Order: sequence, then C-alpha cells, then structure tokens
Amino acid sequence: MVEDWSNRGSFLDLLGEKLLVLPSRLTGSSQVPEGWVETRATTILAFHFSGGVLVAGDRRATAGNRIMTNRVEKVLEIDGSSLMAIAGSPAFAIEMARVLEHSFKYYRRSQLTELSVEGKLRMLAQLLKENVPMAMQGFGAVVPIFVTQDPLRAKSQIFFYDILGAHFEGAPFAVAGSGSVEVQGILRYLDCWGLPGRGLAGMSESEALVLAMRLLETASFFDSATGGVQAGETIYPVVKILGPEGVRTVAESDLEACYRTEVEGV
Amino acid sequence: MFDEPYRWVEAVSQRREYIEEQLRRSSPVIAASVSEGVVYFTFYKRIPKVYEIYDGIAMGSIGHPADIESIRMMLLNAAHMEGFQRSPKDVTLNRLLLFSLSPRLKNAFEDVGASPMLVRSLFAEIGKSQEADRLMTVDFDGNIEEGGDVLSIAGSSAVKDRIQERLGRKKVPEATVKGILPDLLEAYAYGIHENSEMGLDPEGNLIDPDKKSQTILRLFEENTPNVCLLDRQKGSLLPVPPSSLSALTEGLSK
Repeated sequence: MVEDWSNRGSFLDLLGEKLLVLPSRLTGSSQVPEGWVETRATTILAFHFSGGVLVAGDRRATAGNRIMTNRVEKVLEIDGSSLMAIAGSPAFAIEMARVLEHSFKYYRRSQLTELSVEGKLRMLAQLLKENVPMAMQGFGAVVPIFVTQDPLRAKSQIFFYDILGAHFEGAPFAVAGSGSVEVQGILRYLDCWGLPGRGLAGMSESEALVLAMRLLETASFFDSATGGVQAGETIYPVVKILGPEGVRTVAESDLEACYRTEVEGV
Repeated sequence: MFDEPYRWVEAVSQRREYIEEQLRRSSPVIAASVSEGVVYFTFYKRIPKVYEIYDGIAMGSIGHPADIESIRMMLLNAAHMEGFQRSPKDVTLNRLLLFSLSPRLKNAFEDVGASPMLVRSLFAEIGKSQEADRLMTVDFDGNIEEGGDVLSIAGSSAVKDRIQERLGRKKVPEATVKGILPDLLEAYAYGIHENSEMGLDPEGNLIDPDKKSQTILRLFEENTPNVCLLDRQKGSLLPVPPSSLSALTEGLSK
C-alpha cells in the first residue's frame, strides 16, 4: 500500500511521464510540414464591472483562411473560482485548461486547502513555459487570460500572459487574440472617458453584457478570424461571470435577448 | 512460520481480532442521502474524518490516521488520473472500490507478515437525484457493503446496529439537510451511549429527558462536530453551516 510519491499536492508530479499532451512532451519532427496550417482561436476579453469580472470569447476557430468551426468554447471554467479564456492553438489550450482544472482540484482535495492565487498563476506560467519551444517554431502558441478570485480578499483579478509565460494583472481589462486590437482601444477609451465618473468597473451587469456583445461584433467586423454573433444560426459568444458567488455562465437566451434589442436592433 | 494452512488461518483470525479491537473505540460516521446531496455526520477529537475524493465522491473513515491517509491518497490519485486520461464521467465509486481499493485491502489484510491496515470507510457518490445516490462501506478486509438512504460505520457491530436501528432503512424521499440533522445526532448519540446514559429504560423508552440533553451537550463540549454536505449541484464537499449545528443544541438543558 506504500505509494511512490509524497503528498505535496502536485498533479503534474502524479502524471509524470504520462503527461504526453503538452507540445513540449511530444516527440517527432520539430519542423512544421509544408502546407500545414494550424487551427487557431481568436478574440477573448475580460473586464471588471460592478458585479465582478465578465469574460467573453467568440466561437470561431480558423486554419489559415478556412473556418474550422463556429462553435468553439474559448471561456473555460477551471474551478469554482477561476476562469481561463484561450486564444491561439485550441488543441493545446484546452489541454492546458484540463491540466489546470485537475491540478487545482487535486491540490485542494489532497492538501485540504485552496491553492493560492500566486500558485495558480505560477502553474499556468509553467505550462506556457513548457510550450515555448513549440510556440517559437510557429505553432502550438497559446495566449490565455486567467481570471481568479482570492478567497481571503474576496476580490476577482484579471491576468494576461504572453506566450513565454510572463503574466501581468489586467486592471481594469485584458484582451487577447487577433481581433483584440480594436477591442483594446474601445475598452481603454470607455474606461477613461466614455463612462464619466465610474469607468468600466461602475457598469451594471446588463450594461457589461451589452458592451461585451458589441465588442465582439466590432472585432468580427475587422477581423475575419473572429466569429462575432451569428444569430441566424443561434451561435452566440460564450460569456461567463466571476462574482462573489463564484462562476456563472450567462444563458444563451439572455444573450439572444440582449443581441436582439441592444446590438442588432440599434 | 505460516507454511501449514491452519497456522495461516489462525494468524488471519488473530489479525481480525486485533484490528477489531483497535477500531472498537472509534467514533462512528453516518451518511444519509437527502435532496441536496449526501450528509456526513460524525464527531472527532483530533483529525477530521470526512474527505472529498473526486467530483461528487467523498469518504468518511475510522481507524489509524496514517492508514486513512494512505487509502485517501491512493483513491485521490486513481480518481484524478482516470478523470484526466479519460473523463470525469468515467470516475465512478463502483470502479474505484471494486477494482482499486477492495483488492488492495484484501491483500493487505491477508498478508499476515506485514502490519495491518486499521481502517473502515464509508463512501458516498451523488447522482442526479436522491434515488441515484450510492452509499457503500469498505471494511479493513476489503469487504464491500452497499446501503440504502442511510449507512454508517462504527468501531463495533453493536454500535453500528444501534445506529441503523434508530435510523431505520426506510426511504425518505423528502429528507433535507436541516430536517435530517436532528435524527442523525440522535442516532449517533444512541449508538455510542448505553441506554442509561441517554435517559432510557432497558426497553428503550425515554424516562429522563434531562439526562439525554446532558449527554448530547457533553458530546459537543468534548468533541468537534464534522458535518458536511456532498453537494448535488456543485459536486463538492461543503461544511454544513455552523448555524445549522448550533440549532441542534438549542433548547437542551444543562
């Protein structure tokens, strides 16, 4: 009954050599085959509002000029108090999210306490650092936004990463992906001058929802890799909120109502 | 030493007696399926006894803390590896107990040359509804028992029988956490105390309510309640709010 590993709560240690899902653990040619085009996902955003942090992402994944799918979920719940939004290679990003989800839960269950915010950030940075060799060759790059809540401070925080694993706090917002340039500019403008006296953090939930939908529509207008809202095919963005009560997914029916009255019908 | 069969049988028999004796004074653990999930109810002196294993799966154990920790980590590792490599939906209590824990415990029990595992556990898995919840116990020899809506483990079969007798084996479809806590407390108290300590006559009729109150109050004074809900919505093991526990002792006279 004696186990080989000591109880330090590390899921990565537990996986050991069985972790073959991340690019750095894969073996084989390090050259990208000629003509091969990687699938990528785009435009994710997160900003503070009065009820916490809203995180949204469009649903499109592309490979070159081909649309692979319009139904990707880019905003993923990691645990009850953390969200990860992914831009870049969905194959590796989704696997990273699964590693994180199991790591956080494994730590909590084995150590009987939550992993600290710094520990969570560090774990994602570690996965991204392991991904650097592949990203430098031009594929497998992942650029996430990580939103989490410190249970002691009861405060939600937004963090964004570069592909090397460096992380920075996004206050009051963070964006990533190919459609993020326009979104970033709009959010900066609104926070400084567009919402006098309150900024983004003073918005109500309904205002935040309208803003997120309009931002993704704007991104899709300029960036072909961003899907935007496709109401005809009932494809709406994924929008999740991290508030005092934890993570909540905005229902598609609410997104549809918001789109009909505040985006399409305006 | 054990090259003759009867010596091995004798050694196993002595081993069983030794383990039973070691477990005899353990504080019981009760689990009950309610509409919100599965409630675990017990008291402890030093270390909590109820742990989350995986999404919607929990265990409560009595025995030596090192042995409890050993099987807890074994199950945590097995569940998380399976959930990651396949899917969380593939992690089931049945698979964990039948194919992982039970064979290991049986081997450990029958390996008379090694130190025994002093552990008896009560597992719960929540389903989509109360009818789909599962409660199972695994003994130190690997034996598995599956129960209905309420199941318990205790240091001796006599204590367990008293608890089960008090709680009965009826299905209680309308049970809630708040509604069942007084029943669990009473069953726990009746289980570990003699009739006279609980103010009962030999036939089990209550003749001294004050004595019963004093015994229950003493339980709270000398021990720490370990009451958790394996939440059906979240799939996590959550402590039952202190207000629900303090309500249990309200109105009891010292």
